[in-house]
Amino acid sequence: MNVLEVKGYGLDYATPTGFVRALDSIDLAIARGEVLGLVGESGSGKTSLAWAIMRHLPPRAREQGSISLAGQSLMTATESEIAAIRGRRIGMVFQDPSTSLNPTLTLGQQLAEVLARHRGLTRRQAWAEGEAMMARVGLKQPAAMMRRYPHEASGGEKQRVVIASAFACQPECILFDEPTTALDVVTARQILDLFAELQAETAVASLYISHDLALVSRVADHVAVLHRGRLVEQGEVDAVFDAPRDDYTRRLLAAVPRPDHRLMTGKPAAGAEPLVEVERLSVHYGRTPFLSALAGRRTAQVAGNREVSLSVQPGEILGIVGESGSGKSTLARALTGLNRFEGAVRFGGRRIAGRRDMDRGYRRDVQIVFQHPDSSLNPRQRVREILSRPLTLYGGEARIETLLEQVRLPAAYAERFPHQLSGGEKQRVAIARAFASRPRLVICDEITSSLDVSVQAAVVELLVDLQRRNGTAYLFITHDLNLVRQLAHRIAVMYRGELVELLDIDDLSTTGPRHPYTRKLLDAVPPPREYKS
Amino acid sequence: MSPSYFVKRLALIVYTLFVVSLVVFGITQVLPADAAVMLLGENATPDALAAIRDKLGLDQPVWVQYGHWLWGVLQGDFGVSLRTGQPVAPVLLEALGRSLTLAVLTIALMLVLALPLGIVAALRRGKLADLLVSIVSYVGVSLPEFVTATLIVLVLADWLQLLPATGFVPLTENFWDGLAHLALPVLTVSVILIAHVSRMVRSELVDVLHTDYVRAARLKGLSRRSVLFHHALHNALLPTITIVALDVGYLLGGVIVVEEIFALPGIGRHLIVAIQTRDLPSIQAGALIMAATYSVVNFMADLAYAWIDKRIQYG
Repeated sequence: MNVLEVKGYGLDYATPTGFVRALDSIDLAIARGEVLGLVGESGSGKTSLAWAIMRHLPPRAREQGSISLAGQSLMTATESEIAAIRGRRIGMVFQDPSTSLNPTLTLGQQLAEVLARHRGLTRRQAWAEGEAMMARVGLKQPAAMMRRYPHEASGGEKQRVVIASAFACQPECILFDEPTTALDVVTARQILDLFAELQAETAVASLYISHDLALVSRVADHVAVLHRGRLVEQGEVDAVFDAPRDDYTRRLLAAVPRPDHRLMTGKPAAGAEPLVEVERLSVHYGRTPFLSALAGRRTAQVAGNREVSLSVQPGEILGIVGESGSGKSTLARALTGLNRFEGAVRFGGRRIAGRRDMDRGYRRDVQIVFQHPDSSLNPRQRVREILSRPLTLYGGEARIETLLEQVRLPAAYAERFPHQLSGGEKQRVAIARAFASRPRLVICDEITSSLDVSVQAAVVELLVDLQRRNGTAYLFITHDLNLVRQLAHRIAVMYRGELVELLDIDDLSTTGPRHPYTRKLLDAVPPPREYKS
Repeated sequence: MSPSYFVKRLALIVYTLFVVSLVVFGITQVLPADAAVMLLGENATPDALAAIRDKLGLDQPVWVQYGHWLWGVLQGDFGVSLRTGQPVAPVLLEALGRSLTLAVLTIALMLVLALPLGIVAALRRGKLADLLVSIVSYVGVSLPEFVTATLIVLVLADWLQLLPATGFVPLTENFWDGLAHLALPVLTVSVILIAHVSRMVRSELVDVLHTDYVRAARLKGLSRRSVLFHHALHNALLPTITIVALDVGYLLGGVIVVEEIFALPGIGRHLIVAIQTRDLPSIQAGALIMAATYSVVNFMADLAYAWIDKRIQYG
């Protein structure tokens, strides 16, 4: 008997210009104790499907087909029936625990309210039960955690609370909507382990939604691939990975970064003068407010970077990895003069002791590409204006059309505004802007993390191509270990503001990492399983 | 919130009031008025003028006068009215009491009406109720209070003869009669505030209803009611606290106009008379008291904010 069954389901959204198809003839079923991984890129309709199952659709939605839970149709259920089913028989775990928890209620209140609502417990009973749930999802000091507010808990702890409330009423089915995407690799790994444990223990039917194929291959029994609202392929994980039948699945699988598949061949010239030498660079955050300074008090400063030293050869790709808050971006910001720093940077033999020394020449040579093209491209400027800025500043003779061609965008895009481009195209414009001044070092700060895998693969390919043509060195900041292992010559591992290990990519495969944190990082992200193409 | 923050904020209020006192004193100094002439009249003899100047210390340097005045203020002595010859403080306090009654009733009426209006508009977004609230709000915000006052007097006092148009009866003397006399001024001032605050509540609530945590609460199976009252309203009302506190500034200004229109002997009316008669001590005291009210209300709003939103850590 299937717990969740979706049959011939179609979904359209009414727009001023007519109906837009979001989902088309979806058929899927999840049995008790089974995990179905639903994979798709952004806009494929996977979240729409989750909302449809939860019966949380906007009024402009139009549906066909059927969705049923243990034989009971959800589409014909009344609002009060649905309210009794939600949280009780179908649970949901959301992507980002920092937005899915109410900031002004304690974690305990938000967990206990589910128990009070669905299991008819009194406040006191619900609180005690909630505490037990917190212990069960592996939270230390559950009693104290119950009284905390979301901002007083870490991302991993918060996601455990969300998971606890999803499992609280022993539902038959739980939807997991990218539950680890907003978390650090190490934390994500722990949450996945918790998921596997609870899943085995409760035999709940799980729908695990993710854009990450590699991840789904590890957690799911069955996998369904969603592409533009249609299920293009569905089957057991092994079958789909070993013998993908659909073209799109094959493309998706090929785009997943594999550490053994090196994109960067060759090495930077040995013995050459280093391009950049960073010497004991430290960054401190937190300034003493004026009034406190008058009172003679000093505020505790937070170290963003602690005495980081490293060097980059001309044409080298140095990967920088570490969890969020480890100081990766702080280093990038210091090198581009966006942060004050102590210590020194030597660039092309010239000593840069502070932001004052970063003259026009330095800024031309060192460029940065940011994570979110949406916030780094001015929405009111056309691509032409965005790209002409570095040209007038640094006097390159390149033409805008050439710049666009370099990043494989049609010349006609010069007249477009950023909102008329896709995420990947926007990031290409940002890359073109960085390369306009013909820099010697480009800092890439998580530039692919907001992109879909297939788009990421294309952007990375572009970066490799540009590196080959221009001999540019990269500081490639990422949290994706598999990706960085494809690309970098050396990898710098950062942890809590310090550089804990700097290893050559060849040493990584032969002798392995030395620092325990590096090992922990690598263990958290096993390479994706092999598939036959 | 740390006790040191509390002390720091209090110190900041004292500092603000000090600056206000300097400004107010400075302005009254440059006003074209001679206090001695004001007191004794145009026909006073030069000897009498000299004597009174000596008595009031008007021939001393400005900063000495300021020092004397400030020292008096710190002891609760705001000087003697040039118009009546009576001490300023008791008269002013009585007027302040009347104005505060007006202000408190206005804010109470505003909260009773603006919150439900805003909530209904947000919940029925795009529907008729929302449209009606929006229209009424826009009209309310765009009419100046002397126009609203005139309309209200015309309808309620003149045509329908329901309520008295002018005058004041203390609530302690005759509660219902007092309330009847306050009704029109309260209505007039609250129109703009209700319009303003209900729009604020509406837009904040609409934002909060679209947050992930409200959706998460719905998907936990909580009822609409419980989601609204436990999850949404709490967060939506936070910015409203700040707005209400800022509106008190408007209220203080509005009170002056409204008290004049309805002949309500509050602090606003008192100030206008003081300015017309160049009664310097009364002007100084009135302005200072208004500034103090404003500072204290905003301080209280900050305290309330931190009490409700535990993320706020004033340090």
